[in-house]
Amino acid sequence: MLNTKRDRIVNSSMTVLSIIVALAIIFPIVWLICSSFKQPNELFRYPLHMFSANPTLDHYRSVMAGGFMGYIGNSFFLAIVGTLITLVISSMCGYALAVYRNEIKYTNKVFAVFLLGTLIPGETLTVPQVSVISALGLYNNIWGVILPVVTTTTGIFLFRQMYMQLPLSFVEAARIDGCPEFKTFTHIMAPLASSTFVTLTIFSFMWRWNDYILPLLVLSDQKNYTIQIAIKNFIGMNGTDWSSILSASVISMIPVTIIFVILQRYIIGGISAGGVKG
Amino acid sequence: MAASSMKMHKITHTAAFWGFVAPSVVLFTIFFLIPLVLSIAFSFTNFDGWKTMDFVGLANFAELFRDKNFYGALGRTFVYTLFSLPFKVIIPLLIAALLCSDRVRFKSFSRTLVYIPVLLSSLVVGITINWMFSAEYGLVNFLITSAGGKALDWALNPYLATFVISFASNWASTGFYMIIFIGGIKSISNDIYEAASIDGCTSKQTFLKITIPMLAPTTFLAVLLATVNLLKEYALVQGITQGGPGIKTVFIIQYIFDKGFNSMQYGYASAISFIVMIIFALIAYVQFRFSNNGGEN
Repeated sequence: MLNTKRDRIVNSSMTVLSIIVALAIIFPIVWLICSSFKQPNELFRYPLHMFSANPTLDHYRSVMAGGFMGYIGNSFFLAIVGTLITLVISSMCGYALAVYRNEIKYTNKVFAVFLLGTLIPGETLTVPQVSVISALGLYNNIWGVILPVVTTTTGIFLFRQMYMQLPLSFVEAARIDGCPEFKTFTHIMAPLASSTFVTLTIFSFMWRWNDYILPLLVLSDQKNYTIQIAIKNFIGMNGTDWSSILSASVISMIPVTIIFVILQRYIIGGISAGGVKG
Repeated sequence: MAASSMKMHKITHTAAFWGFVAPSVVLFTIFFLIPLVLSIAFSFTNFDGWKTMDFVGLANFAELFRDKNFYGALGRTFVYTLFSLPFKVIIPLLIAALLCSDRVRFKSFSRTLVYIPVLLSSLVVGITINWMFSAEYGLVNFLITSAGGKALDWALNPYLATFVISFASNWASTGFYMIIFIGGIKSISNDIYEAASIDGCTSKQTFLKITIPMLAPTTFLAVLLATVNLLKEYALVQGITQGGPGIKTVFIIQYIFDKGFNSMQYGYASAISFIVMIIFALIAYVQFRFSNNGGEN
């Protein structure tokens, strides 16, 4: 009896500790959000308070008036189109690398070439990448920041893993019934990988929405900026425009957070399964 | 008949295979393999990103080995990585252990909160943390002065600035590594824990003698990913110090970009990239060998 009472105390103190840790980790974001609703004189005067005495949407209004809708639109275009292309090409590639592994001897060699993509950090190739993008006439073009990044080894890896687990007899049965190879994929095998499609959708949307280096280097015209580049431009040579940057940062968090909250059980399964990033 | 039909199938399947992989292969070749070759080729030229491109032999590499700023950036990157690495791995491990314990309630709620910073872009991560540490009117300095201390110059002192960058980096990645460790902890068989509990192990003993050793492969993965991610830290720094004060927080990737895109020394930047690529690969290789030997013992 004494033991159970002691257990209860330990259990509740560990629960309290875990919640304190979680709240501490989320706190900087809460602080940023609360700050974005403060009047300028509350932002830059001690003592600081958590909540504004007189909350305002002015920072949001002024950011939106500064062409922010266009940047959000560009970011959505990059994230949605980029994700669609990634889903199509990685599912096809991962599928082929898994399904033809017995018939075609060099499938693993092809896969090994893609694995180079995880071994060599993309950042070390950015300089020649920008030259290639310019040579293709994609400089200052949204496609110049989409096409270079849509092939992700992570995506190919996830689909390959998925299809390695399925029995090859599915494909063989379809062949006996005279189903063409491509139709076997689109009508039978692709629907079986729906959870992988969801996982990669979340990851890819997040990567593309948060892409920074290529858009910074490739999109020179202000009307082509993505939201990240617009935020970066609030950090000026002569100091940071804090009142704009706070609200702009909060706006930039909204889409990925919504997608995460709706689909989080897939994302958590996806990382444990793949253990990969980027 | 049968043999020729087999052969037909083989050809159809080979064609289908290449059809399926073609889009990925083409894009990967254009935007990864060609830049890889170009990077090596550029490093032997004085390419300025525009018109000039003469073969200069090993001149870039000779310059590189005399370049104090290169050694400075590389050294800072190593110090930063070594300083941040233990926190980047140990804190998520402890949180994962806590958020896997049978004694703890509301686990999925807490896991969600810990994971949310992972969703933010590195730039916004930098901004969020920098806002708390800003020298004037930042929350941290407000708390320090309220407690009677002296406000710290987080942006002007190189050590403090590096600390803020490291803090931001660890904060944002905690959720990611936590999930990796949760996956590892869940894959440890429950029988082992039951046996330990029958033998009267305390929670501390169970954690140190069972969880930690059984997690070795997961920990290795986390260390490897964390090392590479720290070595290539860039966007985060743009949200905090942009490399300042002076060049005291310019890490190696930023040095490459500064040389390439600000000074228009594409050839020289490619030479640095090439050397950095080799250094990164060597570090990954050494860690890999080290962990393999550990596993054999």
